Amino acid sequence: MTTSHEHAVLDVCARIGRILLESGAETPRIEETVEIIGRTAGVAISCYVTLTAVFVSLTNQPETQLTKTKLGAFNLQKVDDINQLSREFSAGQVSFDDIVTRVAAIDQHVIDFNWPTKILGAGLVSVAPMLVFIADWSDLGLAFFIGIAGYLTAQLVGRKATATPYAKEVAGGFVIALLAWGLVASGVGHHAENMIVSAVMPLVPGVALTNSMREIMAGHMISGTVRALDALLIAAAIGGGVVLATTLLHLCGMI
Amino acid sequence: MTYLIQFIISFASTVGFGIITNIPRRALPTAGLTGGTAWTCYIFVQHLHANVFLANMTAAIIIGLLGNWFAIRKRVPVNMIYIPSLVSLVPGGTIYLAMKNFSLGHYANAQAGVITTVTIAVALAVGFVLAEVIVRQIKQHLRSRQQDSLAR
Repeated sequence: MTTSHEHAVLDVCARIGRILLESGAETPRIEETVEIIGRTAGVAISCYVTLTAVFVSLTNQPETQLTKTKLGAFNLQKVDDINQLSREFSAGQVSFDDIVTRVAAIDQHVIDFNWPTKILGAGLVSVAPMLVFIADWSDLGLAFFIGIAGYLTAQLVGRKATATPYAKEVAGGFVIALLAWGLVASGVGHHAENMIVSAVMPLVPGVALTNSMREIMAGHMISGTVRALDALLIAAAIGGGVVLATTLLHLCGMI
Repeated sequence: MTYLIQFIISFASTVGFGIITNIPRRALPTAGLTGGTAWTCYIFVQHLHANVFLANMTAAIIIGLLGNWFAIRKRVPVNMIYIPSLVSLVPGGTIYLAMKNFSLGHYANAQAGVITTVTIAVALAVGFVLAEVIVRQIKQHLRSRQQDSLAR
């Protein structure tokens, strides 16, 4: 028979697992953190994470909690907050009741950079070091602004069209290609291809791909494979958006 | 001079990605430093020996070592430094080009792109594993020395 304390631990652990997963933490770390919190609370639990679900189970009893999740964007501040919390809990600085309220607080609200800073960040990412000394400096400068436009479009569409999968990546790629080819047609830019590759940098799933490979190597085959597949689809969506814009411009005789 | 420009651009890139992914403020400068150093090493190795695997692996080892060190000093999870630092190295542009080639019907180019992507991703992952092994050895060494001094 499970006690109410065990129930509460199971509940909060499932919540922590979901927050960590949706904020972009890697699966081995999530399982470790959740199990440590359970052990510190005096309940032996096992946690298993695939990218679409978190399973938290009492080790020697039949009770299991299953939470379905969606793949989210990176929000590493949340991961850090939970980590901090778990560290304080293990050190005995906070009680279990505090954990429950603080996890709820982290879930609802977290400090974030303001929009101008984020826009600047997206612009900085859009000047890819890979293209320095390959592309013209003027093209890279333009990519700074095109990348911002693409990032903002993706964020906006991602907020509006939550039901359509990969809509935000398609929209981002579309806007980027439209702007790049437009600038070339108006004589400001030189090489649209270089500008596009540089400007899609904030959108492409390169980090997700590398993390998926690290997960696979760490033995987390399922979540690694799922992450790689998702990354592949995101890249395909961006490519699709770019090709769509290019084809449209071709049809209109712009390029 | 070339290396300096590369360092500055990749530093900016790393900090920018750190902002987008909302990493803790205290990790931002150190992540930039890690990312910049790793990218400069990547360029250096590529100039010495034009090998994608070797260059990426070296860069990942640098990120792993510096990242762990800074993570301990700044008291942040090491992933907070890994993720932004990777942004310049990671095969995001390559996979995008490969998928674009697929949708245009250029299958040979697309296949080459996918294979390059996997190669880079594996190289980075192997680099991280190597770095973790080194870090674990150092930590064990430090711990045993600490215990020795306590025993005395």
